[in-house]
Amino acid sequence: MASTIAGFLDRHYFLLRRLHSLTGVLPIGVYLFPHLATNSSIVWGKLLNESKLPAGQLESLGIAAHAGVETFQHEVNFIHSLPGLVLIEIGLLWLPIAYHGLLGIYFAGTGRSNVDRYRYQDNWRYTLQRITGYIGVLFIFIHITSLRFGWTYWGLMPAFDPHAAASSTAQHFQQSTLGTTFIAAFYLVCVLALVYHFANGLWTAAITWGLTVSVHAQRRWGYVCGAVGLMLAGATVASVIGFSRLDIDAARQIEQVMRNGPAGAARHVEPGGSAVLSASPDGRDR
Amino acid sequence: MVAPTAEALQTRSVRFRIKRQDRPGRPWRWESFDVPVEPGANVISCLQWIAANPRTIDGRDSNPVAYDAGCLEEVCGACTMLINGQVRQSCSCLIDQYAPRDGDVMRLEPMSKFPVVRDLMVDRQRLFHALTRTKAWVPIDGTYHLGPGPQDTPQSQQVRYKLSECMSCGCCLEACPQYKLEEHESRWDKAFIGAHAISQARLFNEHGTGNVLASDRLETMIGPGGVSDCGNAQNCVKVCPKDIPLTESIAAIGRAVTIHSIRKFFTGK
Repeated sequence: MASTIAGFLDRHYFLLRRLHSLTGVLPIGVYLFPHLATNSSIVWGKLLNESKLPAGQLESLGIAAHAGVETFQHEVNFIHSLPGLVLIEIGLLWLPIAYHGLLGIYFAGTGRSNVDRYRYQDNWRYTLQRITGYIGVLFIFIHITSLRFGWTYWGLMPAFDPHAAASSTAQHFQQSTLGTTFIAAFYLVCVLALVYHFANGLWTAAITWGLTVSVHAQRRWGYVCGAVGLMLAGATVASVIGFSRLDIDAARQIEQVMRNGPAGAARHVEPGGSAVLSASPDGRDR
Repeated sequence: MVAPTAEALQTRSVRFRIKRQDRPGRPWRWESFDVPVEPGANVISCLQWIAANPRTIDGRDSNPVAYDAGCLEEVCGACTMLINGQVRQSCSCLIDQYAPRDGDVMRLEPMSKFPVVRDLMVDRQRLFHALTRTKAWVPIDGTYHLGPGPQDTPQSQQVRYKLSECMSCGCCLEACPQYKLEEHESRWDKAFIGAHAISQARLFNEHGTGNVLASDRLETMIGPGGVSDCGNAQNCVKVCPKDIPLTESIAAIGRAVTIHSIRKFFTGK
Protein backbone atom coordinates (compact mmCIF):
# COMPACT_ATOMS: atom_id res chain seq x y z
CA MET A 1 0.00 0.00 0.00
CA ALA A 2 2.66 2.46 1.03
CA SER A 3 4.74 1.61 -2.01
CA THR A 4 1.68 2.04 -4.27
CA ILE A 5 1.14 5.54 -2.89
CA ALA A 6 4.85 6.31 -3.25
CA GLY A 7 4.77 5.05 -6.85
CA PHE A 8 1.76 7.23 -7.64
CA LEU A 9 3.50 10.23 -6.08
CA ASP A 10 6.65 9.59 -8.14
CA ARG A 11 4.84 9.25 -11.46
CA HIS A 12 2.70 12.36 -11.04
CA TYR A 13 5.05 14.29 -8.81
CA PHE A 14 5.15 17.55 -10.75
CA LEU A 15 1.38 17.65 -11.35
CA LEU A 16 0.63 16.96 -7.68
CA ARG A 17 3.10 19.63 -6.53
CA ARG A 18 1.76 22.24 -8.91
CA LEU A 19 -1.86 21.37 -8.00
CA HIS A 20 -0.86 21.89 -4.37
CA SER A 21 0.52 25.31 -5.27
CA LEU A 22 -2.49 26.20 -7.42
CA THR A 23 -5.17 25.17 -4.92
CA GLY A 24 -3.49 27.32 -2.27
CA VAL A 25 -4.09 30.40 -4.41
CA LEU A 26 -7.19 29.32 -6.30
CA PRO A 27 -9.73 28.63 -4.92
CA ILE A 28 -8.62 28.58 -1.26
CA GLY A 29 -6.65 31.83 -1.05
CA VAL A 30 -8.98 33.83 -3.24
CA TYR A 31 -11.91 32.58 -1.13
CA LEU A 32 -10.43 34.48 1.82
CA PHE A 33 -11.40 37.79 0.15
CA PRO A 34 -15.21 37.32 0.06
CA HIS A 35 -15.13 35.37 3.33
CA LEU A 36 -13.31 38.02 5.36
CA ALA A 37 -15.08 40.87 3.55
CA THR A 38 -18.45 39.35 4.54
CA ASN A 39 -17.36 38.71 8.11
CA SER A 40 -15.97 42.20 8.60
CA SER A 41 -19.21 43.69 7.24
CA ILE A 42 -20.45 43.35 10.83
CA VAL A 43 -18.23 46.39 11.43
CA TRP A 44 -18.35 48.30 8.15
CA GLY A 45 -21.81 47.23 7.02
CA LYS A 46 -23.42 50.16 8.80
CA LEU A 47 -21.29 52.51 6.73
CA LEU A 48 -23.40 51.48 3.75
CA ASN A 49 -26.20 53.26 5.63
CA GLU A 50 -28.92 51.53 3.71
CA SER A 51 -30.98 49.84 6.39
CA LYS A 52 -34.05 48.40 4.71
CA LEU A 53 -35.89 48.05 7.99
CA PRO A 54 -38.60 50.56 8.90
CA ALA A 55 -36.99 52.85 11.43
CA GLY A 56 -40.12 53.16 13.52
CA GLN A 57 -40.33 49.41 13.97
CA LEU A 58 -36.87 49.20 15.44
CA GLU A 59 -37.29 52.27 17.57
CA SER A 60 -40.42 50.80 19.10
CA LEU A 61 -38.28 47.83 20.10
CA GLY A 62 -35.67 50.15 21.50
CA ILE A 63 -32.94 49.08 19.12
CA ALA A 64 -30.77 51.40 17.13
CA ALA A 65 -30.76 50.38 13.47
CA HIS A 66 -27.66 48.32 12.95
CA ALA A 67 -26.96 47.84 9.27
CA GLY A 68 -23.92 45.71 10.09
CA VAL A 69 -26.23 42.95 11.26
CA GLU A 70 -28.44 43.51 8.24
CA THR A 71 -25.57 43.47 5.76
CA PHE A 72 -24.13 40.29 7.28
CA GLN A 73 -27.52 38.55 7.29
CA HIS A 74 -28.10 39.73 3.72
CA GLU A 75 -24.76 38.24 2.59
CA VAL A 76 -25.43 34.96 4.39
CA ASN A 77 -28.88 34.79 2.78
CA PHE A 78 -27.25 35.32 -0.61
CA ILE A 79 -24.76 32.50 0.00
CA HIS A 80 -27.52 30.16 1.14
CA SER A 81 -29.61 31.02 -1.92
CA LEU A 82 -26.86 29.79 -4.27
CA PRO A 83 -28.03 26.80 -6.31
CA GLY A 84 -26.22 23.55 -5.42
CA LEU A 85 -24.48 25.12 -2.44
CA VAL A 86 -23.26 21.77 -1.13
CA LEU A 87 -21.66 20.95 -4.48
CA ILE A 88 -19.94 24.35 -4.48
CA GLU A 89 -18.74 23.74 -0.94
CA ILE A 90 -17.41 20.27 -1.73
CA GLY A 91 -15.87 21.07 -5.10
CA LEU A 92 -14.46 24.53 -4.49
CA LEU A 93 -13.70 24.41 -0.78
CA TRP A 94 -13.60 21.13 1.09
CA LEU A 95 -11.82 18.99 -1.50
CA PRO A 96 -9.20 21.63 -2.42
CA ILE A 97 -8.62 22.39 1.28
CA ALA A 98 -8.29 18.69 2.13
CA TYR A 99 -5.89 18.19 -0.78
CA HIS A 100 -3.80 21.25 0.01
CA GLY A 101 -3.78 20.43 3.72
CA LEU A 102 -2.90 16.75 3.46
CA LEU A 103 -0.19 17.19 0.82
CA GLY A 104 1.03 20.25 2.69
CA ILE A 105 1.55 18.21 5.85
CA TYR A 106 3.38 15.58 3.81
CA PHE A 107 5.61 18.12 2.04
CA ALA A 108 6.31 20.05 5.25
CA GLY A 109 7.57 16.78 6.72
CA THR A 110 10.28 16.60 4.03
CA GLY A 111 12.05 19.66 5.43
CA ARG A 112 13.77 20.41 8.71
CA SER A 113 13.89 24.00 9.90
CA ASN A 114 17.33 25.36 10.78
CA VAL A 115 16.55 28.89 12.00
CA ASP A 116 18.66 28.15 15.07
CA ARG A 117 21.78 28.18 12.87
CA TYR A 118 20.75 30.41 9.97
CA ARG A 119 18.69 33.28 11.38
CA TYR A 120 17.80 34.96 8.13
CA GLN A 121 14.43 36.65 7.75
CA ASP A 122 13.60 34.43 4.77
CA ASN A 123 14.44 31.34 6.82
CA TRP A 124 11.93 32.45 9.47
CA ARG A 125 9.44 33.07 6.67
CA TYR A 126 9.96 29.46 5.52
CA THR A 127 9.57 28.09 9.04
CA LEU A 128 6.47 30.18 9.77
CA GLN A 129 4.88 29.00 6.52
CA ARG A 130 5.02 25.43 7.84
CA ILE A 131 3.86 26.29 11.37
CA THR A 132 0.93 28.38 10.08
CA GLY A 133 0.06 25.52 7.74
CA TYR A 134 -0.30 23.10 10.66
CA ILE A 135 -2.33 25.69 12.61
CA GLY A 136 -4.49 26.26 9.54
CA VAL A 137 -5.36 22.59 9.05
CA LEU A 138 -6.39 22.25 12.69
CA PHE A 139 -8.31 25.54 12.71
CA ILE A 140 -10.19 24.96 9.46
CA PHE A 141 -11.31 21.55 10.71
CA ILE A 142 -12.66 23.06 13.94
CA HIS A 143 -14.11 26.05 12.08
CA ILE A 144 -16.03 24.01 9.50
CA THR A 145 -17.23 21.35 11.92
CA SER A 146 -18.46 23.91 14.44
CA LEU A 147 -19.95 26.62 12.25
CA ARG A 148 -21.07 24.44 9.35
CA PHE A 149 -21.96 21.12 11.00
CA GLY A 150 -22.93 22.40 14.44
CA TRP A 151 -20.37 20.54 16.56
CA THR A 152 -20.37 22.57 19.75
CA TYR A 153 -17.25 20.92 21.22
CA TRP A 154 -18.97 20.50 24.61
CA GLY A 155 -20.22 24.06 24.72
CA LEU A 156 -16.90 25.51 23.72
CA MET A 157 -18.24 26.69 20.39
CA PRO A 158 -21.97 27.51 20.19
CA ALA A 159 -23.41 26.66 16.78
CA PHE A 160 -24.19 28.88 13.81
CA ASP A 161 -27.72 29.49 12.53
CA PRO A 162 -27.89 30.89 8.98
CA HIS A 163 -31.30 32.42 9.75
CA ALA A 164 -29.81 34.33 12.66
CA ALA A 165 -26.37 34.81 11.16
CA ALA A 166 -24.96 37.71 13.16
CA SER A 167 -26.50 36.85 16.52
CA SER A 168 -25.52 33.18 16.39
CA THR A 169 -21.98 34.08 15.29
CA ALA A 170 -21.82 36.50 18.20
CA GLN A 171 -23.01 33.66 20.48
CA HIS A 172 -20.26 31.50 19.00
CA PHE A 173 -17.79 34.14 20.20
CA GLN A 174 -19.40 35.33 23.42
CA GLN A 175 -21.22 32.34 24.92
CA SER A 176 -18.36 29.84 24.92
CA THR A 177 -17.69 28.11 28.21
CA LEU A 178 -14.16 29.49 28.00
CA GLY A 179 -15.28 33.10 27.59
CA THR A 180 -15.18 35.72 24.88
CA THR A 181 -11.50 36.56 25.29
CA PHE A 182 -10.40 32.98 24.69
CA ILE A 183 -12.48 32.49 21.54
CA ALA A 184 -11.52 35.93 20.21
CA ALA A 185 -7.83 35.22 20.80
CA PHE A 186 -8.20 31.75 19.25
CA TYR A 187 -9.76 33.18 16.09
CA LEU A 188 -7.31 36.06 15.91
CA VAL A 189 -4.25 33.82 16.14
CA CYS A 190 -5.57 31.14 13.78
CA VAL A 191 -7.00 33.43 11.09
CA LEU A 192 -3.96 35.73 11.12
CA ALA A 193 -1.83 32.59 10.76
CA LEU A 194 -3.85 31.64 7.69
CA VAL A 195 -3.62 35.18 6.28
CA TYR A 196 0.16 35.00 6.67
CA HIS A 197 0.18 31.55 5.09
CA PHE A 198 -1.74 32.90 2.10
CA ALA A 199 0.28 36.11 1.67
CA ASN A 200 3.60 34.25 1.89
CA GLY A 201 2.27 31.41 -0.26
CA LEU A 202 1.22 33.92 -2.90
CA TRP A 203 4.78 35.27 -2.86
CA THR A 204 6.46 31.87 -3.17
CA ALA A 205 3.95 30.62 -5.73
CA ALA A 206 5.20 33.34 -8.09
CA ILE A 207 8.70 31.84 -7.75
CA THR A 208 7.43 28.26 -8.08
CA TRP A 209 5.62 29.03 -11.35
CA GLY A 210 8.47 31.22 -12.57
CA LEU A 211 6.59 34.53 -12.68
CA THR A 212 9.10 36.43 -10.54
CA VAL A 213 12.59 35.42 -11.63
CA SER A 214 14.82 38.37 -10.72
CA VAL A 215 15.45 39.48 -7.15
CA HIS A 216 13.90 42.85 -8.04
CA ALA A 217 10.73 41.25 -9.34
CA GLN A 218 10.53 39.11 -6.21
CA ARG A 219 10.86 42.22 -4.05
CA ARG A 220 8.18 44.11 -5.97
CA TRP A 221 5.80 41.15 -5.80
CA GLY A 222 6.62 40.97 -2.09
CA TYR A 223 5.19 44.46 -1.59
CA VAL A 224 1.99 43.41 -3.36
CA CYS A 225 1.67 40.26 -1.23
CA GLY A 226 2.41 42.28 1.91
CA ALA A 227 -0.36 44.73 1.05
CA VAL A 228 -2.79 41.88 0.40
CA GLY A 229 -1.84 40.32 3.73
CA LEU A 230 -2.27 43.59 5.65
CA MET A 231 -5.69 44.15 4.06
CA LEU A 232 -6.88 40.66 4.99
CA ALA A 233 -5.38 41.02 8.48
CA GLY A 234 -7.33 44.26 8.94
CA ALA A 235 -10.56 42.51 7.94
CA THR A 236 -9.71 39.69 10.35
CA VAL A 237 -9.21 42.00 13.32
CA ALA A 238 -12.40 43.93 12.46
CA SER A 239 -14.43 40.71 12.24
CA VAL A 240 -13.19 39.34 15.55
CA ILE A 241 -13.76 42.62 17.40
CA GLY A 242 -17.14 43.10 15.74
CA PHE A 243 -18.55 39.72 16.74
CA SER A 244 -16.95 39.74 20.18
CA ARG A 245 -18.72 42.99 21.04
CA LEU A 246 -22.02 42.62 19.16
CA ASP A 247 -25.22 43.03 21.20
CA ILE A 248 -26.72 39.58 20.69
CA ASP A 249 -30.29 40.46 21.69
CA ALA A 250 -30.45 43.52 19.47
CA ALA A 251 -28.99 41.56 16.57
CA ARG A 252 -31.53 38.80 17.05
CA GLN A 253 -34.44 41.25 16.96
CA ILE A 254 -33.17 42.82 13.74
CA GLU A 255 -32.88 39.34 12.24
CA GLN A 256 -36.44 38.58 13.36
CA VAL A 257 -37.70 41.69 11.61
CA MET A 258 -35.73 40.77 8.46
CA ARG A 259 -37.17 37.26 8.54
CA ASN A 260 -40.81 37.99 9.32
CA GLY A 261 -41.30 41.41 7.74
CA PRO A 262 -41.99 44.71 9.48
CA ALA A 263 -44.54 43.23 11.89
CA GLY A 264 -42.48 40.13 12.51
CA ALA A 265 -40.69 41.05 15.66
CA ALA A 266 -43.77 42.32 17.45
CA ARG A 267 -45.81 39.31 16.41
CA HIS A 268 -43.12 36.95 17.58
CA VAL A 269 -42.85 38.54 21.01
CA GLU A 270 -46.53 38.02 21.79
CA PRO A 271 -46.70 34.57 23.46
CA GLY A 272 -44.61 35.15 26.53
CA GLY A 273 -42.86 38.35 25.62
CA SER A 274 -39.53 36.57 25.93
CA ALA A 275 -39.43 34.34 22.85
CA VAL A 276 -37.24 36.80 20.99
CA LEU A 277 -34.82 37.41 23.77
CA SER A 278 -34.26 33.89 25.05
CA ALA A 279 -32.35 31.34 23.07
CA SER A 280 -33.43 27.73 22.87
CA PRO A 281 -31.06 25.27 24.62
CA ASP A 282 -29.05 24.53 21.47
CA GLY A 283 -28.48 28.20 20.91
CA ARG A 284 -30.95 28.33 18.03
CA ASP A 285 -33.90 30.61 18.01
CA ARG A 286 -36.98 29.26 16.27
CA MET B 1 34.68 46.25 14.07
CA VAL B 2 37.82 47.75 15.58
CA ALA B 3 40.88 46.11 14.13
CA PRO B 4 43.07 44.67 16.89
CA THR B 5 46.62 45.99 17.02
CA ALA B 6 49.39 43.94 15.44
CA GLU B 7 50.97 43.29 18.86
CA ALA B 8 47.74 41.88 20.29
CA LEU B 9 47.32 39.61 17.29
CA GLN B 10 50.89 38.34 17.39
CA THR B 11 51.02 36.83 20.81
CA ARG B 12 47.67 35.16 21.18
CA SER B 13 46.49 31.61 21.53
CA VAL B 14 43.16 30.48 20.09
CA ARG B 15 41.27 27.43 21.27
CA PHE B 16 39.94 25.14 18.53
CA ARG B 17 37.00 22.99 19.56
CA ILE B 18 36.76 20.27 16.95
CA LYS B 19 34.06 17.66 16.38
CA ARG B 20 35.88 14.41 15.73
CA GLN B 21 34.85 11.01 14.44
CA ASP B 22 37.29 8.18 13.75
CA ARG B 23 35.49 6.61 10.82
CA PRO B 24 32.01 6.37 9.23
CA GLY B 25 29.33 5.17 11.60
CA ARG B 26 31.42 5.66 14.75
CA PRO B 27 30.29 7.96 17.59
CA TRP B 28 31.67 11.50 17.51
CA ARG B 29 33.34 13.50 20.29
CA TRP B 30 34.64 17.02 20.93
CA GLU B 31 38.39 17.63 21.25
CA SER B 32 39.97 21.00 21.99
CA PHE B 33 43.42 22.26 21.02
CA ASP B 34 45.16 25.52 21.92
CA VAL B 35 46.91 26.92 18.88
CA PRO B 36 49.39 29.83 18.85
CA VAL B 37 48.06 31.98 16.06
CA GLU B 38 50.16 34.14 13.78
CA PRO B 39 48.71 37.20 12.02
CA GLY B 40 47.02 36.23 8.76
CA ALA B 41 46.56 32.61 9.82
CA ASN B 42 43.58 30.72 8.45
CA VAL B 43 41.79 27.61 9.67
CA ILE B 44 43.83 25.32 7.43
CA SER B 45 47.17 26.64 8.74
CA CYS B 46 45.89 26.07 12.29
CA LEU B 47 44.85 22.51 11.40
CA GLN B 48 48.38 22.03 10.04
CA TRP B 49 49.81 23.23 13.35
CA ILE B 50 47.53 20.78 15.19
CA ALA B 51 48.72 17.99 12.87
CA ALA B 52 52.30 18.77 13.95
CA ASN B 53 51.34 19.12 17.65
CA PRO B 54 48.32 16.87 18.22
CA ARG B 55 48.01 17.43 21.96
CA THR B 56 44.62 18.34 23.46
CA ILE B 57 44.11 21.00 26.13
CA ASP B 58 44.04 18.20 28.73
CA GLY B 59 47.62 17.41 27.75
CA ARG B 60 46.53 14.14 26.18
CA ASP B 61 48.25 12.94 23.02
CA SER B 62 45.77 12.73 20.17
CA ASN B 63 46.19 12.27 16.42
CA PRO B 64 46.11 14.81 13.59
CA VAL B 65 42.66 16.08 12.67
CA ALA B 66 41.65 14.85 9.21
CA TYR B 67 40.38 17.52 6.81
CA ASP B 68 39.99 18.05 3.10
CA ALA B 69 41.64 20.95 1.26
CA GLY B 70 42.84 21.66 -2.23
CA CYS B 71 43.39 25.05 -3.79
CA LEU B 72 43.66 27.13 -0.57
CA GLU B 73 42.20 30.10 -2.45
CA GLU B 74 38.45 29.42 -2.25
CA VAL B 75 37.91 28.07 -5.74
CA CYS B 76 37.83 24.30 -5.24
CA GLY B 77 35.31 23.93 -2.42
CA ALA B 78 37.04 20.94 -0.84
CA CYS B 79 37.68 22.52 2.58
CA THR B 80 34.02 23.47 3.26
CA MET B 81 33.04 22.90 6.92
CA LEU B 82 31.01 24.44 9.73
CA ILE B 83 32.89 27.21 11.49
CA ASN B 84 31.14 28.47 14.63
CA GLY B 85 28.04 26.70 13.33
CA GLN B 86 28.00 28.37 9.91
CA VAL B 87 29.05 26.74 6.68
CA ARG B 88 31.96 28.24 4.70
CA GLN B 89 35.37 27.45 3.23
CA SER B 90 38.00 27.06 5.93
CA CYS B 91 40.93 28.14 3.75
CA SER B 92 39.57 31.67 3.33
CA CYS B 93 38.50 31.87 6.97
CA LEU B 94 40.95 34.23 8.65
CA ILE B 95 41.46 33.72 12.37
CA ASP B 96 42.07 37.47 12.85
CA GLN B 97 38.44 38.12 11.93
CA TYR B 98 36.87 35.23 13.85
CA ALA B 99 39.04 35.12 16.99
CA PRO B 100 40.86 38.45 17.41
CA ARG B 101 41.58 38.10 21.15
CA ASP B 102 43.74 35.80 23.20
CA GLY B 103 41.75 32.79 24.39
CA ASP B 104 38.97 33.13 21.83
CA VAL B 105 37.32 29.87 20.84
CA MET B 106 36.58 28.63 17.33
CA ARG B 107 34.30 25.66 16.75
CA LEU B 108 34.93 23.38 13.77
CA GLU B 109 32.47 20.71 12.64
CA PRO B 110 32.13 18.65 9.47
CA MET B 111 29.20 19.46 7.17
CA SER B 112 26.06 17.73 8.43
CA LYS B 113 24.41 16.95 5.09
CA PHE B 114 27.12 14.57 3.86
CA PRO B 115 28.43 11.35 5.43
CA VAL B 116 31.53 11.88 7.54
CA VAL B 117 34.63 10.03 6.36
CA ARG B 118 36.75 11.09 9.30
CA ASP B 119 36.83 14.20 11.54
CA LEU B 120 36.19 17.23 9.29
CA MET B 121 36.33 15.25 6.06
CA VAL B 122 33.03 14.39 4.38
CA ASP B 123 32.06 12.44 1.27
CA ARG B 124 30.38 14.86 -1.17
CA GLN B 125 29.70 12.18 -3.80
CA ARG B 126 25.94 12.89 -3.79
CA LEU B 127 26.66 16.47 -4.86
CA PHE B 128 28.52 15.27 -7.96
CA HIS B 129 25.91 12.60 -8.59
CA ALA B 130 23.39 15.47 -8.81
CA LEU B 131 25.50 17.10 -11.54
CA THR B 132 25.42 13.81 -13.46
CA ARG B 133 21.63 13.66 -13.10
CA THR B 134 21.44 17.23 -14.36
CA LYS B 135 23.74 16.47 -17.33
CA ALA B 136 25.72 19.54 -16.35
CA TRP B 137 27.95 19.53 -19.42
CA VAL B 138 28.05 20.60 -23.07
CA PRO B 139 27.82 17.51 -25.31
CA ILE B 140 30.51 17.87 -27.96
CA ASP B 141 31.82 14.30 -28.21
CA GLY B 142 31.07 12.74 -31.58
CA THR B 143 32.48 11.02 -34.64
CA TYR B 144 32.99 14.18 -36.67
CA HIS B 145 34.08 17.78 -36.19
CA LEU B 146 31.13 19.93 -35.08
CA GLY B 147 32.65 23.22 -36.18
CA PRO B 148 32.45 26.45 -34.19
CA GLY B 149 29.67 26.88 -31.67
CA PRO B 150 26.87 29.43 -32.04
CA GLN B 151 27.59 33.11 -31.45
CA ASP B 152 26.69 34.48 -28.04
CA THR B 153 25.90 37.97 -26.79
CA PRO B 154 28.01 39.60 -24.08
CA GLN B 155 24.83 40.02 -21.99
CA SER B 156 24.12 36.28 -22.06
CA GLN B 157 27.78 35.59 -21.28
CA GLN B 158 27.56 37.85 -18.23
CA VAL B 159 24.64 35.88 -16.81
CA ARG B 160 26.30 32.53 -17.45
CA TYR B 161 29.72 33.61 -16.20
CA LYS B 162 28.31 34.23 -12.72
CA LEU B 163 26.58 30.84 -12.72
CA SER B 164 29.79 29.16 -13.94
CA GLU B 165 31.62 30.29 -10.80
CA CYS B 166 29.97 27.47 -8.83
CA MET B 167 32.70 25.28 -7.31
CA SER B 168 30.35 22.57 -6.01
CA CYS B 169 31.39 23.28 -2.43
CA GLY B 170 28.05 22.34 -0.86
CA CYS B 171 27.39 25.49 1.21
CA CYS B 172 23.94 25.95 -0.38
CA LEU B 173 23.05 22.34 0.46
CA GLU B 174 24.32 22.52 4.04
CA ALA B 175 22.20 25.62 4.78
CA CYS B 176 19.10 24.30 2.99
CA PRO B 177 16.27 23.08 5.28
CA GLN B 178 14.93 20.91 2.45
CA TYR B 179 18.26 19.11 1.86
CA LYS B 180 18.86 16.28 4.28
CA LEU B 181 21.60 13.75 4.85
CA GLU B 182 21.12 10.69 2.63
CA GLU B 183 23.74 8.07 3.38
CA HIS B 184 22.55 5.53 0.82
CA GLU B 185 23.11 6.05 -2.87
CA SER B 186 19.77 4.39 -3.65
CA ARG B 187 18.00 7.45 -2.24
CA TRP B 188 19.95 10.05 -4.19
CA ASP B 189 17.78 9.99 -7.30
CA LYS B 190 14.65 10.91 -5.36
CA ALA B 191 15.96 13.14 -2.60
CA PHE B 192 16.21 16.88 -3.23
CA ILE B 193 18.79 17.63 -5.89
CA GLY B 194 19.75 21.00 -4.36
CA ALA B 195 20.27 24.60 -5.45
CA HIS B 196 23.69 24.07 -7.05
CA ALA B 197 22.38 21.50 -9.56
CA ILE B 198 19.30 23.61 -10.37
CA SER B 199 21.59 26.54 -11.10
CA GLN B 200 23.83 24.35 -13.28
CA ALA B 201 20.77 23.19 -15.22
CA ARG B 202 20.07 26.85 -15.95
CA LEU B 203 23.72 27.49 -16.89
CA PHE B 204 23.83 24.69 -19.46
CA ASN B 205 20.28 25.23 -20.74
CA GLU B 206 21.22 28.81 -21.57
CA HIS B 207 24.37 27.68 -23.37
CA GLY B 208 24.06 27.72 -27.16
CA THR B 209 25.32 24.15 -27.56
CA GLY B 210 24.46 22.83 -24.09
CA ASN B 211 20.77 23.45 -24.66
CA VAL B 212 20.40 20.39 -26.89
CA LEU B 213 20.02 18.53 -23.58
CA ALA B 214 17.61 21.12 -22.16
CA SER B 215 14.54 18.88 -22.05
CA ASP B 216 16.54 16.04 -20.42
CA ARG B 217 17.58 18.46 -17.69
CA LEU B 218 14.05 19.75 -17.23
CA GLU B 219 12.75 16.18 -16.96
CA THR B 220 15.12 15.69 -14.03
CA MET B 221 13.91 18.98 -12.54
CA ILE B 222 10.25 17.94 -12.88
CA GLY B 223 10.66 14.60 -11.12
CA PRO B 224 10.83 13.72 -7.42
CA GLY B 225 13.65 15.63 -5.76
CA GLY B 226 13.60 18.24 -8.51
CA VAL B 227 12.93 21.96 -8.36
CA SER B 228 9.49 21.40 -6.77
CA ASP B 229 11.22 20.30 -3.56
CA CYS B 230 12.58 23.80 -3.02
CA GLY B 231 10.84 25.39 -0.01
CA ASN B 232 11.93 28.98 -0.77
CA ALA B 233 13.79 29.47 2.50
CA GLN B 234 16.47 31.19 0.34
CA ASN B 235 19.33 30.30 2.70
CA CYS B 236 21.31 29.01 -0.31
CA VAL B 237 21.84 32.42 -1.87
CA LYS B 238 22.89 33.94 1.46
CA VAL B 239 25.62 31.39 2.24
CA CYS B 240 26.95 31.04 -1.33
CA PRO B 241 30.62 32.12 -1.17
CA LYS B 242 30.51 33.07 -4.86
CA ASP B 243 27.30 35.17 -4.58
CA ILE B 244 25.68 33.10 -7.32
CA PRO B 245 22.02 34.18 -7.77
CA LEU B 246 20.74 30.73 -6.81
CA THR B 247 17.19 31.86 -6.03
CA GLU B 248 16.94 33.48 -9.46
CA SER B 249 18.15 30.22 -11.00
CA ILE B 250 15.49 28.31 -9.06
CA ALA B 251 12.77 30.70 -10.31
CA ALA B 252 14.16 30.55 -13.87
CA ILE B 253 14.04 26.74 -13.81
CA GLY B 254 10.55 27.01 -12.27
CA ARG B 255 9.51 29.05 -15.28
CA ALA B 256 11.24 26.64 -17.67
CA VAL B 257 9.49 23.58 -16.25
CA THR B 258 6.13 25.40 -16.30
CA ILE B 259 6.55 26.03 -20.04
CA HIS B 260 8.10 22.59 -20.62
CA SER B 261 5.20 20.78 -18.95
CA ILE B 262 2.55 22.76 -20.84
CA ARG B 263 4.36 22.10 -24.12
CA LYS B 264 4.68 18.43 -23.23
CA PHE B 265 0.97 18.23 -22.39
CA PHE B 266 -0.06 19.51 -25.80
CA THR B 267 2.68 18.24 -28.10
CA GLY B 268 4.91 15.72 -26.38
CA LYS B 269 4.58 12.14 -25.21
